[in-house]
Amino acid sequence: MSEMFSLVDLKVRFDTKRGALNAVRGATIHVAAGECLGVVGESGSGKTVMWRAAMGLLRGRRVTRQGSVTLDGTELLTMTEKEVRQLWGTKIAMVFQDPMTALNPVRRIGSQISEALVKRLGMSKDEAAARTLELLKLVRMPETEKLVRKFPHQLSGGMRQRVMIAMAIACNPKVLLADEPTTALDVTVQAQVLDLLSELREKLGMAMVIVTHDLGIVAGHSDRIAVMYAGEIVELAPTVELFSNTRMPYTEALLNSIPKLTDTSGSRMRAIPGSPPDPVATTTGCFFAPRCAYATDRCRSEHPELVDDGSGHAYRCFFPLGKGK
Amino acid sequence: MALSRRAPVGLVLSSAWLGICLISAIFGDFFPIPEWNAYDYENVGVPLFSPGHLLGTDFDGTDILAGIVHGARTSLGIAVTAVVVGSLIGGALGVVAAYRRGWVDSVITMYFNVALSIPTLVLTLVMVAIFSSPNLDDPSAGMPRELVIVISLTLVIIPILGRIARSSALTWTGRDFVLVAESIGMTRRSILWTHIVPNVLPSMMSVGFLAAGVVIVVEGGLAILGAGTDPGASWGSMLAKNRQDLSILPSTTIIPVIAIALTVMALNYFGDYVRLRIDDRESRI
Repeated sequence: MSEMFSLVDLKVRFDTKRGALNAVRGATIHVAAGECLGVVGESGSGKTVMWRAAMGLLRGRRVTRQGSVTLDGTELLTMTEKEVRQLWGTKIAMVFQDPMTALNPVRRIGSQISEALVKRLGMSKDEAAARTLELLKLVRMPETEKLVRKFPHQLSGGMRQRVMIAMAIACNPKVLLADEPTTALDVTVQAQVLDLLSELREKLGMAMVIVTHDLGIVAGHSDRIAVMYAGEIVELAPTVELFSNTRMPYTEALLNSIPKLTDTSGSRMRAIPGSPPDPVATTTGCFFAPRCAYATDRCRSEHPELVDDGSGHAYRCFFPLGKGK
Repeated sequence: MALSRRAPVGLVLSSAWLGICLISAIFGDFFPIPEWNAYDYENVGVPLFSPGHLLGTDFDGTDILAGIVHGARTSLGIAVTAVVVGSLIGGALGVVAAYRRGWVDSVITMYFNVALSIPTLVLTLVMVAIFSSPNLDDPSAGMPRELVIVISLTLVIIPILGRIARSSALTWTGRDFVLVAESIGMTRRSILWTHIVPNVLPSMMSVGFLAAGVVIVVEGGLAILGAGTDPGASWGSMLAKNRQDLSILPSTTIIPVIAIALTVMALNYFGDYVRLRIDDRESRI
């Protein structure tokens, strides 16, 4: 498989009043063309920052980005803002979390979608209008002719997220970053939107990254899953492998924390004790050690590297689960 | 629609009054009334409802109704011009400051703050003193009085509306849909026009109405200080011209005051109404 979007040793640092905040501490990950990568982590694990920084949406005086990001063979980090903007929409696009705020309240749905077609692809107004209807049909919206005349507040959350997806795929991007695409939606609508994203990925041959805090979201829709913790990738494996042979204690703890229907009522949730390390402070040892049930002295003093066990399953642990001690 | 479909009484009254003023300002020349600066020596200082002079005359024999009708043109003209030009310039500066941030923002904000620190009347008085002719009978010695007043009031309006535009644009710039527009590769300029400006306009409109009221009052104040338009040409200068007759013939001063008061109240009501509609709209998005 050819690599479409690659992050090599990407570090993202924010200058804050308290000192340097290491949001992403050297992440290496490759997304192949047509592949769907799930990225899972709790709030503050750096998952959103990582992709926004890689895309170039996150820049400014207080943001330092190091490492390398290549999109279809082109290096992005050294580009000027103007050059990167040329790639947004046409090569790489993003679907955002909250469809309530991500659409302009004063503009009609149709004009919001066709704007990109006219300005980026140079279509005429009529061509863009026709293409807008096609796009809306592609995201399975009913009554598209009526819909283009509507304003965002006249649509439900799920419909707005479909409009967002239509906007993101309008210029045929090769990579689609979906940042918590279903978090703001009802559970039934979540499944529909995820199915739609998978379908579009196959139809359009895009590479896709789904960022979420919910392992269940990506379980059925991704080829591989990366688990992030404290700005690092701590486990990376094909989806089935990750669930059947979990190696990283953090991933295991995440899986255990999902409530099960078979739990007796009134039983306690299995939350992970403690909280993630302070991203400003420097920590020695494994970042998860203070919360890990299996931590040893070595875990507390030495920082583990992300190692691949040869089968495409990588983890950042000295004592991986299921490998004997 | 959360608001009732029937227009509120205040809105109807305000619209009616502003409509009358507007018609007077535009078509006043065709009304069957004397010239605003004509002297009727037969009827000097006649009270209200005198034949031929519905609102009476002052001690120069000029018709008060004619003065009010003509004054509408001057007062509203000055207010509308100052607010429209001021909000165009101020709005542009404010939106650019909010969207560009950095040194551009610092410079523009500093200008706003400095301009706001100068008292309105002091600024306009100084402008009139420097630029316009000191002798009302010889206007060629400087710029026309009205023009200087409009320019100085515009300078007053720019920072007020500019700050409103900036703060409004700042909140809209942080909204997700701006990020979305960026992420699909829209240029900064097109984002500014399609996403920021249409959302900033309503709040500027609401303050614009209030500002027009302020301008009318300030213009009246200038007239009383002797730095206004020609005597009797605007509501303010009618007031200034006849103020020493307040105890003898109160109608000459009270009528222009009523005209100013009604107009300012109507403008404030409009501003509040627009504000209410915006709040109502934004609570739904």
